[in-house]
Amino acid sequence: MTGISALGFDLILAALILGAGLFAITVRDLFGAVVFFIVYGVFVAIAWLRLGAIDVALTEAALGAGLTGVLLIGAVARLSRVTTPAGNNTSDEMRRPPAGARLASMVVAGSISGVLGWAFLSLPDSTGLRDAVADNLAVSGSANPVTAVLINFRGWDTLLESVVLLAALVGLWSLARDRDWGRRAGLRQHARPGGVMATFGRLLPPFGLLLGVYLVWAGSSYPGGAFQGGTVLAAVWLLIMMAGLMPVPRMVSVGLRAVLVAGPLVFLGIGIAGAMAGTFLGLPPTYAKPLILTIEAALTLSIAATLALLVLGTPDPSP
Amino acid sequence: MTAWLLALGALLLLSLAGAMWRIWRGPQAADRMMAAQLVGTGGVGTVLLLAAATDWAMVDVALVLALLAAFAAIAFVKAQSSDGSGDPEEGPEEEVAGLSDGARRPSVRAADAG
Repeated sequence: MTGISALGFDLILAALILGAGLFAITVRDLFGAVVFFIVYGVFVAIAWLRLGAIDVALTEAALGAGLTGVLLIGAVARLSRVTTPAGNNTSDEMRRPPAGARLASMVVAGSISGVLGWAFLSLPDSTGLRDAVADNLAVSGSANPVTAVLINFRGWDTLLESVVLLAALVGLWSLARDRDWGRRAGLRQHARPGGVMATFGRLLPPFGLLLGVYLVWAGSSYPGGAFQGGTVLAAVWLLIMMAGLMPVPRMVSVGLRAVLVAGPLVFLGIGIAGAMAGTFLGLPPTYAKPLILTIEAALTLSIAATLALLVLGTPDPSP
Repeated sequence: MTAWLLALGALLLLSLAGAMWRIWRGPQAADRMMAAQLVGTGGVGTVLLLAAATDWAMVDVALVLALLAAFAAIAFVKAQSSDGSGDPEEGPEEEVAGLSDGARRPSVRAADAG
């Protein structure tokens, strides 16, 4: 009985994921494609849960269904303001790229899927590094194997990832025009004081702050971590700024830049301290838990600030 | 019990297929966004059923979904305002002010004529 209902659940879920993906690329309306992308993120998060990967599901729910959707909604609105003259709201429909470009992107996407599928199917039947991680979990300073791998066993990858995020923000900021440099990031945010949005901006952040900090704290023993918590905190900060309750920071603000680099710097500092003690990025088992929490706390702040600024974008080009 | 919870989850997922139809049809952007909110809410329900059926640690995912689905709606409302960063509640006031200006002008002219 359980098997049948689980099978039914999985089949319906798989159909919804495929449908959302297919509709996202076939729907003619650009905004419709963005909404299908958001919905796709929700379904994929549920699929990760069915596979028992709660950490990945948290990330997908926060980033795929959440922050990326917000980014794309803003991008569609900005695009339609740039391309359509004022007062003309009719050309909402996507302008189709030439057939050659569509065919080329289809071939590229199809071959990537094919190669990934082939790689998956040709994987040898093994448990991978699962046993090695389980054997060393006791000295890692974390009871959550995902956190142990991310911050301790494969700390090098995570350190570079945090730098990649910073590089993405530098790349985005370099798109700003010279005379906009140093202004407040993104559009000028405003809302009616006491209106629904401003009220919402006061109501939601306390819960979001609690959830974000909880996810980071819980990440050392349960699913969660710096990336998931940081994404939730980014959403909270964006919400407060969008509700016009807090000004958007200037791109030249020293405090802002300190927060942006705090995570990678703390991570690197602890890594170098480890190098002096013997191993670069090696965490001594006795101090591993406090060190992991320190790294995660600094990373969370940097990830939250970087993601929020990536969503805000470059300063508004209109004076 | 697990079977029942999963079957109910499957039923919830089926109801979300209706939301997919609404996103496809539209016709307004708001229709699509409301359908996405329905998927968000249905997703929270499905995750909670899954958590009860398998592992309660999954509840955190429902929390994140609930918070960020509401946030997408805020971003949508912002994007709908004229400059993309305002608040629709500000708009009507200006329009009403503009309208009353236009409505006042003829009466002023009438007073002049009188």
